[in-house]
Amino acid sequence: MFFSEMTARDAFKFTKQKMTEYQTEILERMNAIEVDAHWFRRVFHTFAASFLFYYLLPDQDWINLGKIVLPVIIVLCMVVVEYRRIRGDLDHQRFFGLRNYEKKRPASYLYFGVAILLLFLLFPQQIAIPCILCASFTDPIIGESRYYLGKKRAYAIGFVISAFFFLVTWYRADWWVLILVPLLGATGAVMGEAKKLKLVDDDFMIQMLPAILLLLMWQGLLAIGINMLPPPMLHPL
Amino acid sequence: MEKKNDTRKENIQKLLLRLELWFAPVLIIVPIGASLFFLWDWYVRGFSTGSSVYDGELFLGLLLLVGNLAFDIPFLRSIRTLRKKE
Repeated sequence: MFFSEMTARDAFKFTKQKMTEYQTEILERMNAIEVDAHWFRRVFHTFAASFLFYYLLPDQDWINLGKIVLPVIIVLCMVVVEYRRIRGDLDHQRFFGLRNYEKKRPASYLYFGVAILLLFLLFPQQIAIPCILCASFTDPIIGESRYYLGKKRAYAIGFVISAFFFLVTWYRADWWVLILVPLLGATGAVMGEAKKLKLVDDDFMIQMLPAILLLLMWQGLLAIGINMLPPPMLHPL
Repeated sequence: MEKKNDTRKENIQKLLLRLELWFAPVLIIVPIGASLFFLWDWYVRGFSTGSSVYDGELFLGLLLLVGNLAFDIPFLRSIRTLRKKE
């Protein structure tokens, strides 16, 4: 009886010890994983395209209120985090993938978030969707092709891809709109990406510049009685 | 035993601070989930009812899926190679 009790206790101790060793090994292995900051930043960009899910949210009173309040709260939280980081309350090292020049100014993810917020709240989805797609895909594509093909070719590729996004999202517009809008939108997107400003990040400009250009064009044409806007691309559930 | 516990605690603390490790799965799974939802929505509301109004969902679903996979693959590869170096 005593012998069997001892064995059970020993077995329990042995299992516990093995479990702890196993746990420590897993933790050490996970800590040994290194994430490449370059690709992390690229994937962060493409991830942002999933925010377009916003336009599928149902058209109900309380959800419509949430569509305004929730993005504002998220961006405000980002502002608070960035404010604390710049002040030095939060360690810069904890923010993985930040560039050196972002140490003393708001990081690009904040600019990205503010631009998406403005597009969601102030622009029709026909303008907002291609602009968000440009920031999500054109920006990293330009970044990658710049490395292999040089600046000029990278911007040319960026222009073609941005024009494609505008073409696809406005596919139900009139033929003349399908010529003008991709040209204007892609020009704005590439200019927003190419022009590096000290205070405003390109992640903001690549979305806002084409959006403002298209908004002006849309409103200008509306003033003379022409509505160039196609029907919405995405429909709430 | 105490030393082992300390190392374990240290490892857990290190892991908690490495936000990129927590973000990485989200950055991969969410866009793929969203794109599949767009495609499902197109299938249910558009394709199965014979309506072309929902083709926008199809375009965006495909764009999201292809665009994200194109960048996810090198991202995952980069994680693996850095691990090998370790």
